[in-house]
Amino acid sequence: MGDEVIAAGGAGRYVNWGVVHISLTNLVVIALMLLVFALALIVPFPAHRRTGEGDSR
Amino acid sequence: MSSAKLSPGGDLGGVEDVPAGSAAEPSWTVWLRDRITRIVPPGEALPDKQPAYMSSWIYVFGVLTLAALIVVIVSGLVLSLGGVAWWHISGVGHFVNSVHLWSVELFFALMVIHLWGKFWMAAWRGGRAMTWIIGAAAFLGSIGTAFTGYLSQSNLDAQWIAGQAKDGLNSVGIGAWFNVLNPGQMLLWHVTLLPLIIGAITALHVVLVRRHGIVPPIDADQS
Repeated sequence: MGDEVIAAGGAGRYVNWGVVHISLTNLVVIALMLLVFALALIVPFPAHRRTGEGDSR
Repeated sequence: MSSAKLSPGGDLGGVEDVPAGSAAEPSWTVWLRDRITRIVPPGEALPDKQPAYMSSWIYVFGVLTLAALIVVIVSGLVLSLGGVAWWHISGVGHFVNSVHLWSVELFFALMVIHLWGKFWMAAWRGGRAMTWIIGAAAFLGSIGTAFTGYLSQSNLDAQWIAGQAKDGLNSVGIGAWFNVLNPGQMLLWHVTLLPLIIGAITALHVVLVRRHGIVPPIDADQS
């Protein structure tokens, strides 16, 4: 099952992988979403500091 | 609780307190007010504090999805002012149409990332099953709403999509109540029926989130 990239004149490029038939654009969008998800877990969240008050409940 | 009674003169000069119902049988308004105020714990409807474990960007995607939905609705309202031909004949209409499309794209991307986060943190824990179920309903309903949007572009692409969609829907027995080849029905479902349903589901989802609070991490201390 190798990747195949098809240039279908005007209709955009598609990737075929087994039963998966997806446009290259759509594949890129999904890859970017996965990247954003990973970054959301990794990138530090700015800490909000208040004098004399904690954030924990 | 009491209600004021007008004096025979029509003004409030002779106000007397008349209890609405009795202690044994409260009136329906008292009952309803009590139910409404107890839906969300006091101070939790719009809290100004959050648990320390929420210091992560993954918790931002729910409200981002909501923000995108607001842009979708506002741009959709502007499009409804111009009508279904507006975006074909006007540069401003074309721009607003594009805002509507791209805010929908963002809405779905942000909603799916929100779904991924909630799945992997098992956010249905702690009595939050209905929150998850209603979120799933919002997701599926949004897809249907987007599909009726694709059918309402008033162009040949939309006509093609309708022709393809009818085959798929009919093949699984769907299509008794709606006809994708009926542009009037699809447009009204898209701008009236489905947004009202999605709006109600979204409001319910947000109320439940505020009612139960954000789920603690899986490895949080149980004491």
